[in-house]
Amino acid sequence: MSIENSWLAQAKAMLDQSADGLDAATLSRLNRARQAALAQRAPPRRWLLPAGMAAASVLVLAALIGRGYLPSVVPGAQEFPLTAKTAASSDIDLVSSDDSLEFYQDLEFYAWLDAQEQEQDLGS
Amino acid sequence: MTEPVDLPTTLERTLDQFLKGVERRALRMAELATTNRDEAMDLVQDAMFGFVRHYAAKPPAEWTPLFYRVLDSRLNDWHRRRQVRSRWLAVFTRDPEDDESDEIAQAPDLNDPGPLLRLAGSEAARDLDAALTRLPLRQRQAFLLRVWEGLDVAATASAMRCSEGSVKTHLSRALASLRRALEEHA
Repeated sequence: MSIENSWLAQAKAMLDQSADGLDAATLSRLNRARQAALAQRAPPRRWLLPAGMAAASVLVLAALIGRGYLPSVVPGAQEFPLTAKTAASSDIDLVSSDDSLEFYQDLEFYAWLDAQEQEQDLGS
Repeated sequence: MTEPVDLPTTLERTLDQFLKGVERRALRMAELATTNRDEAMDLVQDAMFGFVRHYAAKPPAEWTPLFYRVLDSRLNDWHRRRQVRSRWLAVFTRDPEDDESDEIAQAPDLNDPGPLLRLAGSEAARDLDAALTRLPLRQRQAFLLRVWEGLDVAATASAMRCSEGSVKTHLSRALASLRRALEEHA
């Protein structure tokens, strides 16, 4: 070891001693600082990936339906196209009808009565 | 059987061990720069936070120069703030020979037994401390990172965010200044 290296080794040893000789209060503060630094690490957000994939899937599906690449109803099911225009006209018909409100409230009863009459007709 | 909750992950344990391994030297480095333990403690804590926030995901083999890069940045910031204050107070006492001195004239004489050999015990440590405190920040950091921390030139350059040539220049000047300062006390 050269004289220069020996001198530097001595300096290094003195610095090591000064670091090793830190008092307990200082070491405690260092420990608290270290724990605080480690505590800031946010836990991994494992739910983000599946949630993001689900949201992306919904968006892709909506975009495909919106552009007409996918049918908006199940094939084979009866379609009831309801546009704003037809909906508005059916409402007008309902309001302007001469039938009383009780008639529409008892609509299920009349449907049942109609079915009964049809059965009787078929039976006779 | 109950499972323990919040067990630290392997990464957290490795991080804890790493910081535990460097924190004392980091504090001493900051203390030599600030000559104030409380301020040094704040800087080290800031460096720990910055390191964990920005570099914890890096491979552990790269952590040492990255940690000292953060600490060096904090020390530079502290030094700049102090310089601004010093201008107002007009007590800036930097050695004017620092940047313009002749490197060859300052090169250490290898036949000399060395200044620390002539100093004894705690007096030598105190004189070394004082000599290190008087060094310009960049020279002190180059000395501490190369000689004390044992980083190679490339890692020191990475930590100090400068070229390897600058590291060598800072270190050469630091060695010459230290030798000269310690000779005066021998």
